[in-house]
Amino acid sequence: MATETNPGADSDDKNLGPLQTWTRGVLTDQDKQDRLYRALFYVAAVFFLVTTLFPFYWLLVLALTPNSAILTGDWSLPVLGFEFPHPQGFNVYAFVEVFQQVPFHLYVFNSFVLATTTTIIVIMIASLAGYVFGRLEFPGRGGLMLAILMVSYFPPAAFLIPLFDAFLGNAVAIPFLGIEVFEPPRLVNTPGALLLPFSALMLPLSIFILTTFYAQIPDGLEDAARVEGTTRLGALVRVIMPLSAPGLATAAVLTFIAVYNEYFFSEIMALENVPQNWSPLVGGILSYQTQYTTDFNLMAAASVVGVLPMLIIVVFAQEKIVSGLTAGALKE
Amino acid sequence: MSTEGQTSVADRESKRSGPLVAITRWLENLGETAFAYLLLLPVFVLLGSVALYPLLRTLELSMFVNILGTGEPEFVGLQNYIDLFTGASNPRFPGSTTFLPLVETSSSFPFVHVEGWLRSALIVTLLFTFVSVFFETIIGFGQALILDQEFRGRSWVRTAIIIPWAIPIVIQGMIFYLMFHPSTGFLTEYLARWGIVAGTNTLNDPWSAVLIIIVADIWKTSAFMALLILAGLQSVDRSLYDVARVAGATRWQQFRMITLPLVLPAVGIAVLFRTIDAMRIYGLIDSVSSCTVVPSLSCMVVETFNTNRGLSSAVAFVTAAIIGILVTIVIYQQYKEGI
Repeated sequence: MATETNPGADSDDKNLGPLQTWTRGVLTDQDKQDRLYRALFYVAAVFFLVTTLFPFYWLLVLALTPNSAILTGDWSLPVLGFEFPHPQGFNVYAFVEVFQQVPFHLYVFNSFVLATTTTIIVIMIASLAGYVFGRLEFPGRGGLMLAILMVSYFPPAAFLIPLFDAFLGNAVAIPFLGIEVFEPPRLVNTPGALLLPFSALMLPLSIFILTTFYAQIPDGLEDAARVEGTTRLGALVRVIMPLSAPGLATAAVLTFIAVYNEYFFSEIMALENVPQNWSPLVGGILSYQTQYTTDFNLMAAASVVGVLPMLIIVVFAQEKIVSGLTAGALKE
Repeated sequence: MSTEGQTSVADRESKRSGPLVAITRWLENLGETAFAYLLLLPVFVLLGSVALYPLLRTLELSMFVNILGTGEPEFVGLQNYIDLFTGASNPRFPGSTTFLPLVETSSSFPFVHVEGWLRSALIVTLLFTFVSVFFETIIGFGQALILDQEFRGRSWVRTAIIIPWAIPIVIQGMIFYLMFHPSTGFLTEYLARWGIVAGTNTLNDPWSAVLIIIVADIWKTSAFMALLILAGLQSVDRSLYDVARVAGATRWQQFRMITLPLVLPAVGIAVLFRTIDAMRIYGLIDSVSSCTVVPSLSCMVVETFNTNRGLSSAVAFVTAAIIGILVTIVIYQQYKEGI
């Protein structure tokens, strides 16, 4: 570092070592302090960049290396000698094979369909709820919001057993009374078994985001629309929702990501992990892990393919994600 | 309003008819409270059927012995819970019951009075939660401090930091599975040499697997903490720093006297959120290792719900109760601030 060689010291410092001189310089000199701060800042930034991105590099390395070379496992760099993972070979064919070994595209397709449908359901229901919580005054408002908040925190495991029973087509009875209410259709292996829990799990966050956004629309705009003759719901659809487009986009992006990334119900509700049973991405990746246990390059290639949609969303919808997460959590 | 106006309105309304108009008119004439509850009906139906009903039904099921394939369920009251806490139900769980043998019954570790599987699950869940949330908070704070600065390439650094948060859990699991699997992982050999993880069968060794799962979670979720803390940082009034600089405060003093106290409430909320979320850990364990090697509370539910419904429900309800306590704290915090 440049500051280390800079003497800049008084006569007092003659018998001090270079490190002590430098430390004293930093303590007294604002300029040196800033330079040290700057250096620390860049070291930390680079550290975080490397640690967050390295695992993706590792996936690429594995995907491009032929499987035989992975199994012999020599990652040392040819010239430098120390071990650092790098592709050994350039086997792009893995990205073709990944769709041939199992119908991986069908799993990804299922994930897309499920995520899109859930997003539409959630946005519709959450829009009504957001309008109610954000713009109407009625008794029980605070209590209901707390109840919805509470539901969103409970572990999916606490809902699993009765839901699974009901989705198998067993009769639903009122708890503790034993009175059978109705016999639901058999939903396992259909999209319904995934859409219902997904929608319920993702709903609270969207409600809070949309409540925040809808509450910010000035009353005057809604009143003007009402004077023009539209109904309350008409004002919601024609005035409030278009003006809250950023909020809707935020809620939609976060819901889509959350469903695409969900694990618990995705794995359990689609029996047997086959795409015909609407098993989503989770099933596709796990079928590599459980059935083709030594095809490590294909596991990596499948992961790369599965990550790509999220990568694109993060790059293009970053602002929405950031604002949505903080709005949902801190409710500012 | 004049009578003439009223008749003309009535006139106009009478000209439109049909069911749609009738519904619209009925909706418009509803009072605000009735209208509000009507619009909330879909929320009630969805959350009632997918959350509230299952939660109550789980409580009910936990009071029955219901081993699938052995006839009718039998009401036993709290026996499932007693069996769970005394270890009498251990044989009903798959795999070995000697997970984490390092924790001796005589040690001063909490939950020593809880036996067998439940103890393992509590230890795994709490260990995972506290260690990962602790490091996520520190790393997230560091990331937030960096993102709070103005510098060239800031948005790219932010993208890079957010990406791990946005990837599917199953792929996160796969990445760390591949990174530490003895046949592929380049790290395993070194770490085993230093005695950090087991050299062979790494992902089936309980302590190694827990460690890897914690690292994987820190990698993915620090970004979430960073974003929440960043929001707190950016709400700090910048003029405070100008005042501090004029007063001759160093950067460290500015951080300690201004940033930290003003950001701590945001950090607190973020920590609670993450803690609740981390207590539900299941997917990462299932994809990196296995629920029989590293049993979390959710793992225990999933492992047994197809064989022993009563016991599984009891575990599920214990999980819900533990998280419920934390949720109550959060709700109370939110309530104090006014929702």
